[in-house]
Amino acid sequence: MNRAETLQHLAWLCRNGRTTLAPVIEASGWTELDAVLPGGGWQVGTIVELMPTAIGIGELRLIVPALARITSAGRHVTLIAPPYVPFAPALSQHGVRLDRLLVIQAQQAEDILWATEQSLRCRSFGAVLAWPAAKIRDREIRRLQLAAEAGGSTGFIYRDVDAAHEASPAALRLRLRRIANALQVDVVKCRGGRSGVSVKVEVPCSGCA
Amino acid sequence: MLWLCIALPQLPLEALRSEDTDAPLVVTACEGSARWVVCGNPAAQNARLKPDMNYTVALALCPAVQKIERSPAAETAALERLAAWAYQFSSTVIPGEVPLDFRQARSGALWLEIAGSLKLFGGFRNFIAALERELALLHYSYQLGIGPTLEGAALLARSGIRVVMSSTAALQLRIRNLPLALLSLEPVIAGALHTAGVRTIGLLLELPRGAVNKRFGVQLGNFLDRLVGTVADPRPVFRLPARYDARFDFEFEVKSTEALLFPLRRMLHEFAGFLRARDTGVQRFTITFAHRGATNTSVDIGLSLADRDANLFLTLVRERLEHLELPAPTIGLGLIADQFAMPAALQADLAHGSLQQNEELAHTIDRLAARLGAQHVHGLRQVADHRPEASWTAAPLQATRETPQFPERPLWLLPEPKPLQLSVMPQIVSGPERIEGGWWDTVDVQRNYYVVHLSNGSSLWVYQDLGERGGWYLHGFWS
Repeated sequence: MNRAETLQHLAWLCRNGRTTLAPVIEASGWTELDAVLPGGGWQVGTIVELMPTAIGIGELRLIVPALARITSAGRHVTLIAPPYVPFAPALSQHGVRLDRLLVIQAQQAEDILWATEQSLRCRSFGAVLAWPAAKIRDREIRRLQLAAEAGGSTGFIYRDVDAAHEASPAALRLRLRRIANALQVDVVKCRGGRSGVSVKVEVPCSGCA
Repeated sequence: MLWLCIALPQLPLEALRSEDTDAPLVVTACEGSARWVVCGNPAAQNARLKPDMNYTVALALCPAVQKIERSPAAETAALERLAAWAYQFSSTVIPGEVPLDFRQARSGALWLEIAGSLKLFGGFRNFIAALERELALLHYSYQLGIGPTLEGAALLARSGIRVVMSSTAALQLRIRNLPLALLSLEPVIAGALHTAGVRTIGLLLELPRGAVNKRFGVQLGNFLDRLVGTVADPRPVFRLPARYDARFDFEFEVKSTEALLFPLRRMLHEFAGFLRARDTGVQRFTITFAHRGATNTSVDIGLSLADRDANLFLTLVRERLEHLELPAPTIGLGLIADQFAMPAALQADLAHGSLQQNEELAHTIDRLAARLGAQHVHGLRQVADHRPEASWTAAPLQATRETPQFPERPLWLLPEPKPLQLSVMPQIVSGPERIEGGWWDTVDVQRNYYVVHLSNGSSLWVYQDLGERGGWYLHGFWS
């Protein structure tokens, strides 16, 4: 084999390696958002940080279509330390299967992180939503990231909007705010995609109908 | 009949202590005014402390030696737990009697009839391998012997002869040259035989039986007959209890929860053996920590799927222990279970997705519930009630039956409606939706619900109370 052939062979190996490692994508259900997310949706096996400016702007509605699809496919979703009561009739209206939904009421900050990691690690969970009680550190995000990779689930971590100014090892970080009738999604960080872009997602202002 | 004898030479020590220490430790017993060594741990053996040694001599040889008092009751309890465990290998299990005389205390043993089990386990070699693998988890010192009679098997075990003697003729031939001391005879008889110059078992067997009976009592003659199989050796067979109730009493107080894990591990492995013996699993069992001068602490362990995996049990118990404040040092452990169910993992459930994932999910939920409390890990269910706070309930994960239809609802509900002080009426986006009900169960509700928008972009679900209380309340977020 001469040098050119070797190089060609190496290039082929690289390409091949990349195709086998293609990430699994779970469409978010919002075409505008899928257009900016690498692969066209939530990447399975990663941590997504969501940083809303206020509660009640559609920050949960944004991932509900994905939850509906995950639960319909038979996998489970868990909500860890939700700030309020996840309202069963509403979830059901949006197509989330309630028999696939688990709620974990943890109070202590370390219990919340522990429960999140345990759930992410379990292959039965397709998505894990967590509301950490205290400031979450880089090291902890990294741990969750590893757990998500091992369990093949997506971790949605809700954080305070101030966290958008800090660095984080999470694969995807989105700042959420409401502008008129749409949810403005600012991509703060996006591994394998473009950060700094903003997209308007037409999350219907629920109840306005 | 082919008997496997599990001889437990260290039972007096191991029944009281499940883990070994580096410090010399002996079990002692009193006879008259003297105290004698029954057996010791490896550290004590290294210090040249031997069984049947006077404790004063032992103290002189090794001043650092610690002693614990022999407890025949604990030995009996240990043998019973072991018998329940051994039932998984044979349907005929005979727990030996615990001799009261401390000089025979090291002859504790357990017998299993194995001729009927060998085929099931795929031959002799596989059977012994499976048995020893499980036995090693219990951390007992043991010796195995296999022979055609109970006493013959016990003798082979004590002599360390691991060759199967399937016929009495082969057994007699093999034990001829063994020293008499291995028979664990009563000390008086052993002494008399020694004086008479009988040193080996072969010599004793050759003596005319009539003369032996006359000189040393009928019991010795009968024992020899049972040893070589000329007379039957009936014993009470162990019956598997319907309810599992095991106890493990310590001879000392255990203060740290970490130290409790050793005896717990053994108990849970024995328990798992019992479950295998009954071919069942468990979904709920109770562990009791006995304290001196305080009421016992009981810990209920619940699983979402029936199981019989000792390691899973241990993980759950450990998780609970970490969050448990025991009121006093522990002096004993108890394990009680009376409801059994087939392990879910063994049930064919092809219709409902992958079995392994179901099991993994159940294990994860159990771990979460063990640490956070079962009431904090739950699923959700809809209820056909128009009042928002009554239209949902926390429920175990299961397929829902009723799906009542409501108008569109917010994703977040406040646990309690929060009174609002409205100086300026916010922008009402939709409403009102009149919700009335509950007059039948005293929580009468008459409300007008609205969706309002705040300037920061939040959509709220608020209502105006039309009843006696009046006023505006926040009840949810359109998140």
